Amino acid sequence: MHNKVEDRIKNIMSAVFEISTGEINDESSPDTIESWDSLKHMNMVVALEEEFNVQFTDDNITELINMKLIKVVLLERLPADRL
Amino acid sequence: MRELKYSEFLRLNKELGTNLKSNPYNITILSNITVHQIMEILEYPLRTEGLNANVEIGDYNNIVQDSKKYQDSNAVIVFWELSNIVDGLQFRIELFNNDQLDEIIEKTKSEIDLVLKNLGKTSLVLINKFTGLHFCSFNLGKNNLEKLADQLNQYLENKISVNVRLVELEKVITNVGLEESLDLRYYYSSKALYTVDFFKSYAEHVKPFIMSVNGKARKALIFDCDNTLWKGILGEDGFDNIEMSTRTKGGAIFSEIQAMALALNKQGILIGLCSKNNPEDVEGVIKTHPDMQLREKHITINKSNWSDKVSNLKEIAQELNIGLDSLVFVDDSSFEVNLIREHLPEITVLQVPERLYVYPKMLRENFGLFYNLSFTAEDRKKIDMYRQQVKRETVKKKFTDIEDYLASLELKITIHLDDESIVPRMSQMSQKTNQFNLTTKRYTEDNIKNFIENDASKAFTFSVTDKFGDSGVTGLCIINIDDDSKAADIDTLMMSCRIIGRNLEYAFIDYIIDVLKENKINNVKAKYIRTQKNEQVKEFYDNCSFSLIESTDTVRNYTLDISNYEPKQLNYIEVNIA
Repeated sequence: MHNKVEDRIKNIMSAVFEISTGEINDESSPDTIESWDSLKHMNMVVALEEEFNVQFTDDNITELINMKLIKVVLLERLPADRL
Repeated sequence: MRELKYSEFLRLNKELGTNLKSNPYNITILSNITVHQIMEILEYPLRTEGLNANVEIGDYNNIVQDSKKYQDSNAVIVFWELSNIVDGLQFRIELFNNDQLDEIIEKTKSEIDLVLKNLGKTSLVLINKFTGLHFCSFNLGKNNLEKLADQLNQYLENKISVNVRLVELEKVITNVGLEESLDLRYYYSSKALYTVDFFKSYAEHVKPFIMSVNGKARKALIFDCDNTLWKGILGEDGFDNIEMSTRTKGGAIFSEIQAMALALNKQGILIGLCSKNNPEDVEGVIKTHPDMQLREKHITINKSNWSDKVSNLKEIAQELNIGLDSLVFVDDSSFEVNLIREHLPEITVLQVPERLYVYPKMLRENFGLFYNLSFTAEDRKKIDMYRQQVKRETVKKKFTDIEDYLASLELKITIHLDDESIVPRMSQMSQKTNQFNLTTKRYTEDNIKNFIENDASKAFTFSVTDKFGDSGVTGLCIINIDDDSKAADIDTLMMSCRIIGRNLEYAFIDYIIDVLKENKINNVKAKYIRTQKNEQVKEFYDNCSFSLIESTDTVRNYTLDISNYEPKQLNYIEVNIA
């Protein structure tokens, strides 16, 4: 389920962190992706917000620290018809 | 570029970067806030124009030190955020007493001085003007933050030299909207203030500066005629029924378009026509239509005929001897617009919008394409030269640039020193010359005689001939000399407007400096005094290896260590001494 959402997230992360989508899995985090620093984190947040047309809260932003959590937070925020 | 998503930007920009093989054009951003998102957003639009832009961000809040470190960058952009000059200034400023405020002002001014000094030789420096707008848009009247911004901006304006341009940050914010420009979520944690949308608009705003220094400004604006320069179709509606006057509803917009084209032409942009029409019909409108503003003298090239527009535009570029990428073409027809976009992608094509009332706005938004950092009299003269070039189709010789053109003129100047016989002409010149006149001092014949008879001053004049004839005495320079201190002071320097654009001034200055050297002068002072009409020589001394030592709205003071003078030695101007 929600494979489309997952693919879109992977595309964003691939563009922001300059890695291939194949390198991204549920466990991807600042620990496994070398270029994921605090500045790139900001870039990812902006790119995700634009892609899914949502606005994250402050708390959301600090939660988005691995692929699994990004999916959870996004699914929470996305209305069912936009999935 | 506004429609591109940020992630698409990142991807496309990376692709372009790997494909561009030219030397990198290094831009460094110095900032006291976090602006890292500007990197790709600024690189991308420049890379699409073939410029291998490479943006680097200096250390956070390290503007002064980094201005030295990065002075060799091709361009430096300074983001000096007022609210972070001292931490939390936007709310603390109202609590400061006068001494504390003065201290902040003095500190910032001295930092500005240092930065300008460090970047004095950098070929392009862009500094954002200070603004308090982010925190003050709801204030009635001006609060302390805004007053501080005004004061620092005033200081900047007075201090900057020719390589520095101030960026009107508030205009950028206005174009995006204040709400959409700011993302305060990151301001308190990371001192990041601006949104991606803001950076996109900023990149568009400063792009013309960078394009201009890289010789990528567009040179010619080519119009279709029917429903582009006037309302209606000449061949169908007829001479009497096409509209381009403010008196008619349909004509007002086209009247504005023509006025805008005229204004660009005044700044040295070539205007041309490329239209499917009977040539004699269009000629008739240009020559005799009472509402036509663009006349023969403004239109450098006219391809009104029935050939296809691809061939016509190619010919236009060829005959003007400029690249296709120097052309901007405006047409109302989707067919023509798509044809040109497809076959000649180098040309920038603008389509007349269906909603006609946005047509002038669209053209205005694209003025940046033509932006020229150093607009000189030569640019204006170029128009005539281009026209001569087009007219002389029978002449075999094609000029590759202005220098070639000048070389073909067989220019000769004859220099006279303290020649009493031409006192009336010298006085007359000083009374009448406005444009190429550095100090605009008016002298009577008696005044001039005094200069000639006085040993402490020298009056140089020159007359000029070329292969077309004699222009007579057209240049004057008066110099005061202090033999004790071995110093000279250029009191007056002027040239008649009819000989502007031939670089004679450089040959003249070369000679004068030689004479001063022979007189063992070490140092020369010079001055530009601004008037309504002499803007074109504002940077003349900068171009002659003088150093600007002081600059205000009205006066620019220069000095020259004579051993540093770099003569232009223009080999196409023969210099004789009377």
